[in-house]
Amino acid sequence: MGGDPVGQGIINMHNTPAIADSILEVDSLSFGYRDRMVLKGISFSVKRGEICGLLGPNGCGKTTLLKCINRILHARSGAIRIHGRDVSELSRNEIASLVAVVPQDLHVVFSFTVLEMVLMGGTARYGLSGIPRKKDFLRAHEILEELYISGLADRRYNELSGGEKQMVLIARALFQGAEIMLLDEPTSHLDFKRQHITMEMIKRISEEKGLTTLITLHDPNTAGRYCHRLVMLNRGCICHQGPRDSIFHAGSLESVYDMKIKVERTDTGADYVVPHSKPVKNEKN
Amino acid sequence: MKKISPIAVVALLLIICVVIALTAGQYHIPLHTLRRIMLLKATGAAPGEDLTTPAMVFWSVRLPRVLMAVLAGAALSVSGVVFQGIMRNPLVAPSFLGVTHGAVFGASIAIIFFSKAAFAIETLAFIWAVAAVMLVYLIGGRGINTITTLVIAGVIISTFFQAAGSFLKYIADPYEQLPTIVFWMMGGLNNVLWAHVVRAFIIIISGITVIYIFRWKLNLMALGDEEALSMGVNVKAARVVFMLFATLLAAASSSSCGIIMWVDLIVAHISRTVVGPDHKRLVPFAALTGGLFLLVTDTIVRSIPGGEIPISIITSFIGAPLLGYLLMKQNKQWRE
Repeated sequence: MGGDPVGQGIINMHNTPAIADSILEVDSLSFGYRDRMVLKGISFSVKRGEICGLLGPNGCGKTTLLKCINRILHARSGAIRIHGRDVSELSRNEIASLVAVVPQDLHVVFSFTVLEMVLMGGTARYGLSGIPRKKDFLRAHEILEELYISGLADRRYNELSGGEKQMVLIARALFQGAEIMLLDEPTSHLDFKRQHITMEMIKRISEEKGLTTLITLHDPNTAGRYCHRLVMLNRGCICHQGPRDSIFHAGSLESVYDMKIKVERTDTGADYVVPHSKPVKNEKN
Repeated sequence: MKKISPIAVVALLLIICVVIALTAGQYHIPLHTLRRIMLLKATGAAPGEDLTTPAMVFWSVRLPRVLMAVLAGAALSVSGVVFQGIMRNPLVAPSFLGVTHGAVFGASIAIIFFSKAAFAIETLAFIWAVAAVMLVYLIGGRGINTITTLVIAGVIISTFFQAAGSFLKYIADPYEQLPTIVFWMMGGLNNVLWAHVVRAFIIIISGITVIYIFRWKLNLMALGDEEALSMGVNVKAARVVFMLFATLLAAASSSSCGIIMWVDLIVAHISRTVVGPDHKRLVPFAALTGGLFLLVTDTIVRSIPGGEIPISIITSFIGAPLLGYLLMKQNKQWRE
């Protein structure tokens, strides 16, 4: 892995992207399992090149929302549009060429090599039989080099550390070549340093490749530091949404997490969130 | 130094074992006699008096049996590989998913109601094997997270067909039909004819070729349903196609050789351990290893002095302890 990027680029972190047309729209989306509604009328949009953070307590529907966007789960009502096209009308191949997913924690029974895992990302463009060609192998190696993990190419996925696995899944998503990247808790299994290295990597590749990134996060500090836009969920509903600077304050975070929160500004200009006291209510989710 | 491919090693072993198997048996055909028989066929000359019996044994009995052993072993093993891949479970096999008991049921119907006609036995065994898998999929194949429900549905359908098969055995004529059903259930290659070999060759080679062409999709299926969906695979359609072709392979073997247990599970499991999960290497390796395993086993059962014993007895004696060992090893790895 390259040098430690922790602490770099705080001042310009929240600049809005140069190109700002909406690419992903979620419109009145509802989803439930039998009589239990998980998402209730969710509406928001993400602009091209933005990093949008999904914040909220456990069980608030963040991962479910990502799965609905990728049509792993089918919405009960409402619509998801990518470039104005309804996702429900797209084929699986079309969705795969538009949306790449980095799952939170991928357990695999059969341990493929890192190179094989990355190559799987290109399946949507391999044709009917889906066999990667020589140029795909070259491109996969290039991406592994871009992420400084080319040394892992022949290692088995199950033998890697949590951080290495995360980088492999990001490499696979990049190899997929989609415009939208959905990341589900990419830092949840990482130590403090790795969290920031991974987030810096995500920010860098999003900017370089002009990706639209939707990312679920547990840590509001990470969200506040790296996201242009935030969508805050609680009990399946959106509590607050908007540009990071306008909604990243104690009031909005308190209503999401049901606890007293203080947002303090450091001398570098970055805001950080600290719990102020005990939670105001017992957690219900 | 360049690493020797395990596929090349097992292919070489298979060739050597085919030659040994062609010579070995209750009627021994020495290697030089084998060469003369082959040369006579190539030149089109009639065999001399000393070669009449060995040539007849070779062309009518030995060669079709050896070829069928290789084909059936390859079919069962690749079928096991596919089922393990789409179920993401290294300990499942067609026999766990109703294929075996469906085939037994179909063959028993043919033995009792169609006067043991070979064509009826093969056809009904195949139809009921496919029907069993279709029923398994109908019961357990709904929704996204279907792997566990499919395995449970396999247990349900297997149990049902086992009971139905037992009923057929109960009503079968104890002198004429019952021994045929029992021997068919224990499996064996002693009744293999050229017609079986030709039919099995077409089905098995076509089936393995199709599976090999779509090997990359099988890789994704082995990774997980959500992963495969995210990469653009139509998981439900792919699962149905792979299940049908895998069943076709297992049924093509069962309809000619009866029920041969454990080959599908054991060879698929060992092959994955040796060459890894990528089906580009796994499918050919398992096909060759399965052919080798069944060929060696069949050569042993027909070379034992005192008469041939059903092949499943040997495959079970090898397979069951080996699976127990693999399971213990796997549990140990998980604990670590």
